[in-house]
Amino acid sequence: MSYVIPFLNVILFLLLAPLFDGVLRKLTAKVQSRQGPPVIQPYFDLFKLLGKERLDAAGTWPFRLAPVLAFAATLAVVAVIPFGGRAGVLAGWMDATVVIYLLTLAGASVLFGALAGRNTFGLIGASREMITMIMVEPVLAMTLILGAVKIKSLSLAAAAPAAAGAAFGLSSALMLVVYLLALQAFVARQPFDIAEAEVELLEGPFIEYSGPHLALFKYAIMIKRMFYAWLFVSVFLPFLRTGVYALDILVQLLAMAVVFVLIALVGATNPRLRIDQAVRYYAVLIVAALAAVGLGVLGR
Amino acid sequence: MTPEKIFEALKAEFGGAVGGSSPAAPGRLFIDIDPSRLRDAANRLVGAGGRYQVGVGTDDRHRNGTLGLIHFFAFDGDHFTVGLRTAAPADHPDFDSITPDIPAAGWSERECRDLLGMNFPGHPKPKKLVTADDWPDGIYPLRREVPYNLIPPAAEDVAYQLDEAPPGTTIVPVGPFHATLHEPAHFAVYVDGETIKHCDYRGFMAHRGIEKLCQTQVSYNEVPFIAERICGICGSVHSVAYCQAVEMAAGLAISRRAEFIRVVCLELERLHSHLLLIGVAGHLIGYDTVFMHAWRIREQVMWLAEKITGNRKTYGMVIVGGVRRDITPEIKTETLAILKSLEAELVSFEKAIVGDTLIHRRTKGVGHVPREEAVLWSLLGPTARGRGVDIDARRDHPYAAYDELSFAVPVVPDGDVWGTIVVRLAELFESIKLIRQALERMPDGPVLTEAAEALPALRPGWSMVEAPRGESFHYVLTGEENRPERWRVRAPTYTNLQGIPRMLQDNQFADFPIILGSIDPCFSCTDRVAVVDRRSGRGRVWSKKEMDRLSRSRS
Repeated sequence: MSYVIPFLNVILFLLLAPLFDGVLRKLTAKVQSRQGPPVIQPYFDLFKLLGKERLDAAGTWPFRLAPVLAFAATLAVVAVIPFGGRAGVLAGWMDATVVIYLLTLAGASVLFGALAGRNTFGLIGASREMITMIMVEPVLAMTLILGAVKIKSLSLAAAAPAAAGAAFGLSSALMLVVYLLALQAFVARQPFDIAEAEVELLEGPFIEYSGPHLALFKYAIMIKRMFYAWLFVSVFLPFLRTGVYALDILVQLLAMAVVFVLIALVGATNPRLRIDQAVRYYAVLIVAALAAVGLGVLGR
Repeated sequence: MTPEKIFEALKAEFGGAVGGSSPAAPGRLFIDIDPSRLRDAANRLVGAGGRYQVGVGTDDRHRNGTLGLIHFFAFDGDHFTVGLRTAAPADHPDFDSITPDIPAAGWSERECRDLLGMNFPGHPKPKKLVTADDWPDGIYPLRREVPYNLIPPAAEDVAYQLDEAPPGTTIVPVGPFHATLHEPAHFAVYVDGETIKHCDYRGFMAHRGIEKLCQTQVSYNEVPFIAERICGICGSVHSVAYCQAVEMAAGLAISRRAEFIRVVCLELERLHSHLLLIGVAGHLIGYDTVFMHAWRIREQVMWLAEKITGNRKTYGMVIVGGVRRDITPEIKTETLAILKSLEAELVSFEKAIVGDTLIHRRTKGVGHVPREEAVLWSLLGPTARGRGVDIDARRDHPYAAYDELSFAVPVVPDGDVWGTIVVRLAELFESIKLIRQALERMPDGPVLTEAAEALPALRPGWSMVEAPRGESFHYVLTGEENRPERWRVRAPTYTNLQGIPRMLQDNQFADFPIILGSIDPCFSCTDRVAVVDRRSGRGRVWSKKEMDRLSRSRS
């Protein structure tokens, strides 16, 4: 069974990520008093992009490699995680640091692609993306480190649920708030869709991409969003367990859908912040996350 | 202050250089000045409280061998305007540039240079403004001998030379096609990191010579239908301004009822234009929910406009002498009912926007220009009123039926983008009040007054209409063949766009969209688009079948 889990994870995420994205779009439309696209529209979008001509705008291999790398790294993350509360075979070799490393690799691929594209808007977008990564990744790291501190292990299967598991103390409550406040930045939605900023940067880092390359980036982002929703459910709602594997997966998916509702509502009711404003906001989050880990070390 | 006193003051200071003065109408005065003292006289007028409006170039070579130039100044507090009129021989058409002192004159002078071949020694930026980069030298489209449909051969390898970049900056090209712009224009934004240091503008990409077309091809009462198509939003503004200018030139007093109906059209336009802009402003800061709801509320205004004028966009309503449709008692009742529900929705809409602190964070202190500089750049409309400049053509230079209606002119001292939004929100409610008053007080009578006889030639007329974006200025000089000899349009965006580099200075690049958006730029108003295809020079009429096929094949 443990050999099947990584594949099952990947398949589930590949199948469901566009659906969650569709839910996000539909809900946003409802808030905006629009009809909105059908919830399966993201599947059509991906198929459409995958079927298009592969334009090599920059003509260099880093440009072509970046989307593949981003997609692969995101899928690798998904393969490692204990989805449905059950760890796969990979968890034996890979701990929480690997997840952080792979997520950073996916983010860095976006930067490589933007830098290789050499477009002015792409470069501005890349610099914003880099700032966002530097400021937001620590919050992710702290979330996992808090769990690790509590059970004194970096094993993902144990550390993730432990952050708010057995001892749901002051530190867990603080981290929960910090995670929610950082959620929009993790998933790059308003008010933190700063790197893509459609009206000024025209999708920023992705401006030179089209067709299958763009599809890979978009797919990777959808899966990444789903991952962050799962991480929230897994870390802060560990009590949502029945013990039956299939049922646990279903419960987690439903809880993730609720997280997506939250993402949609916050995204639809906020304007985009400027990067300088966002950096000040992230700085507060980092300090708060550090404080949560500190409290965790003190056993609270 | 009166026009006569201004004239006497100029006469006392410049003596023989001041020719005569001729009142064109009450509150409208021409003062003739020798070109050598033009710059001093212009400075004198600005010093006396004049606001630079526009420069109008005229081709008078067939009469006296000169090219004429009129700089218009408005004295808003004293309710009059002065046209400073000068002329220079066509073989040596040099006029001292007044732009170094009055920056708002920059474009008018460049336009005269491009279209009439005048020279402005001392102009700080003597680059092409209106004509295409490959337009040949020596052909000046507004001169009489140049045909309206002239198509000079295109040239290769000609490009606009951008301003030199300040040290340490890189250029971000915003345009000619960019998500921030809804029409073609090119802003070269010079950024240091993300801070804007300078901005160069190259626009007029859709310039198709609408003024030339109307000066050579159509008749007085056909112009309004072209005039209202200058802009996609303020149709009535341009047709009313043009018709008022012609009516002033003809000395034609139109029926009072028509004037009230014009007010209704103009205020409907303000309602839907402001709602459009507030929605777009939301979109520009990444807040699409504001965008969608503003446009949802706006839709009922469009339907109302269709009921009243037959068009969603208040087109086809205004002609010289009045309007084409009356407002029936049924439409009046219906309009009042719609206004009531509209007002209720706007109250909660305003509350939602004013109460949203994140909107404050994105707009307060952004695009800040102090009041003195707003006056220096002659900023107009909400762009000026949001910066503490108390001007409004409806109150300062009353036209149509505004003299009989009571309304407030909201002015806030903020000086930033937020100020312009606050002003627009307040104006929405004033517009509703105005429409209600106009409908209630409208006297009975005909809606169209025919002119008794043909219009004599060479009568000048000019009029200002407060468009949603600010004052629109139209100058008409009547001509021989039942059409204007000269018609000059200056939409508010023409003036406000010139102030954009100042507004952008030292702001963040992320704020570029909202700063530009805050003037509610209308590039078609500045470019003055006509319906002639430039490549073939001919109109192409698509059948409905072809249009259907075309739109389906593209979607």
